[in-house]
Amino acid sequence: LNKHATDVDAAETLAGVVRLLRQAAVLAWAAADRAGAGPAAQLSALGVDLAADQARHLVPDGTEIDGPVPVGDQPAGLLRSAELLLRRLPPITASDALDYLRATVADLVWEANTGAGG
Amino acid sequence: MAARSLSSSTTATGWRARRCSTCLLTGRMVRGWPQLMQSAAELWAVPPPDPTVSASGDPIATLAAMGRAVGRGLAAGHWPGRGPRDEAWEQIASNFVQARRLLEEHAAGSEAVSTDGQASPTTANTQLLHALYVAAHATAVALTGYERGLQHRLEVGARRRQPLVERPTALEVESAGGMIARFDAIEELAAGSLAAARRIDATDQPATGRRRPTVRIAAALAAWEIQAYRTLASHPDPADLVRVARVQALIATTTVVVGEAAARRGEIDAGVIDRLTPALEKAQLAWSRSARRWAELTRAASRTDPALVKAAGQLRTAIRAAVANQTGWATPEQIAGRIDLPATALTLHRSLVAGVELAHVTREIAADHPGLAAPARLIAMRAQGEAEVAIEQGETRFEGVRWVTPRQIAANEVIPLPEPARRGLVNAATDVAAATNQAVAAAAHLRPTEHAPAVQADRARHIGRAARQREIPVRHPNRGGRPR
Repeated sequence: LNKHATDVDAAETLAGVVRLLRQAAVLAWAAADRAGAGPAAQLSALGVDLAADQARHLVPDGTEIDGPVPVGDQPAGLLRSAELLLRRLPPITASDALDYLRATVADLVWEANTGAGG
Repeated sequence: MAARSLSSSTTATGWRARRCSTCLLTGRMVRGWPQLMQSAAELWAVPPPDPTVSASGDPIATLAAMGRAVGRGLAAGHWPGRGPRDEAWEQIASNFVQARRLLEEHAAGSEAVSTDGQASPTTANTQLLHALYVAAHATAVALTGYERGLQHRLEVGARRRQPLVERPTALEVESAGGMIARFDAIEELAAGSLAAARRIDATDQPATGRRRPTVRIAAALAAWEIQAYRTLASHPDPADLVRVARVQALIATTTVVVGEAAARRGEIDAGVIDRLTPALEKAQLAWSRSARRWAELTRAASRTDPALVKAAGQLRTAIRAAVANQTGWATPEQIAGRIDLPATALTLHRSLVAGVELAHVTREIAADHPGLAAPARLIAMRAQGEAEVAIEQGETRFEGVRWVTPRQIAANEVIPLPEPARRGLVNAATDVAAATNQAVAAAAHLRPTEHAPAVQADRARHIGRAARQREIPVRHPNRGGRPR
C-alpha cells in the first residue's frame, strides 16, 4: 500500500511538472511569436517544449494530466518550480530518463536566467 | 552489367523528360515515383558506404522518405490518385532491381566489380543519384506542361462559357502546382546530394575544428528530416505537427542567421542573402502560424513521438552550439569561428528544400487525418470563421450549416473537426508550402564564393530581424548562475 501511495504521489508530481513546463512553453512561445521573425527566443521556447514532452512520457498511463493552469507570467519562474518539484520526487522513481529530465530543466532554468538562447 | 543497367536508366529518364514535356502521362509518372524511389533505396543499400558521401547525411534516406510520402498521398486519394503507373518508370525501377541483384552477387568479391569499364560501388551510387535527379526533373517538367495545359483549358473554358463540368477545376490546377513544388524539391535534393558527394570529405580528413560542429549540424538536420517524415507517416498526434512546425521555423531562422553571417564576412554573395532573408522570414512566420493552429488541437493527454523529441533535441543543441550565445544569436565573427559558414548555409538550404515536402505532407494530414478533433467551442469559432471566408469566395456548401450543437458547446465536448475547420489547417499548410517554396527559389543561387563582396556598413539593404537582434545585444544580468 505504501509503495502504491508513493507511486501515485510520484505520478501526480510528474503530472504537475508537465503542467508547469507546458505553461512555461506557452509563455515562451507567446514572447517569441510577439517578437516576429527571427528571435533567438525560439531556441529556448523549443527547449521548454521538448522538456515538457520528456516529462509527459514519464507520467504513467491512467494519470490525470489535466489540472489547474499554473500561476505565473514568466517562464523562468515556472521552470524553477518544475525543477523544485522534480527534486522532490522520491528515489523510487529514479531512472535515467528522470535524471536526464532534471538536467534538461536545470539547463533551461540557467538559460532563462542568463538569457542564453533568447 | 550493373553500370549498364544504371546508365540505361539515366538515358531513359532523359528521353522521358523530352517526350513527356508535351504529353499528359504526368499522373502515371507521379504514380510510378514511389516504386522507383524504393527500388533506388534498396539498390543504394547494397554497396559498401561511399567514402565521398558524408555518413551524417545519407541523401537516399531523405529522398526515400519523400517518395513514401508521395505514395501515401496517392493511396489516400490525393491527385493524381490511384491508377496505372508509367511504364518507363517501371522499367527503370526494374533496372535498379537488376543492378541490385548483380551487386549482391558480386558482394563477396567487391574488388572484381571495380574493373575497367564497370561501376565501382561509389560510381554506382553516383549514377543512381544522377538517374534520380534526371527522373525527378523529367517529372517536374511533365507536371509543368500539364499544369499549363490545365490553366489554358480553364481560361478557354471560361472565355467560351463552356459548362463547368467540361472545364478543369481550380483545385486540379492547385494540386498540379503542389506536386510540381514537391518534385522540384526532390530534384533539388538529388542534385544537391550529387554535388555534396563530390565536395564533402574530398580530403578524407577527420572532423576537427570548425568542421566538427558543421558536420554535427548536418547530421542533426538529416536525422531530423528522416524522423519528421517517419512520425508524420504513422498516425501523428497534433502535438507532433506542432513540434515539426516549430522546428522547421527554427531551421528557417537559423538559415537567416548563418546566411547573414556568411554575407557579412564575404563568404556568400550578399545580394543573394538580401533576396533570401525576407523569404526565409516569411517561411518562419508561416511555420509558426501553422504551429499555433495545430496547438489548438492538442489535449492534456497528448504525447509527442519520443523519437521526434530526441531528433528535435539534438538539432536544437547543434544549432545552439553553432549560432547562439548567452545574449541571443552569436555575432558573425563568433559564428565564423565555430562553423564553416558556406558549407552550413548550403546544408541548411538543402534542409529547407526538404521542408517543402514536409509542408505538403502536413497539408495532406490536415485534409485527411481521421482522428482530428477539438473542443466544441473552439471548433464553433474556427468553423464559423473559415466558413464565412469560403462563402465570400463563392463556396455555397457551407451556407446555413451549423457545425456544432448547443449541447456540445455547453459541455465543450471534444468532437471531430468539420470540413471548414480542416480548411483552416489546410490553408495554413498551403501558406507554409508557398512561403518555403519562395525561400527555396530565392536561395537557388546560394553558392559559396571566394571573392564575394562583404556587406558595406553604409549600404542600404534588408537585414533580417535575427541580424538586427545581434547588432543590439540585450545583456541580461546573471540572476541564476550555472546549475551544478
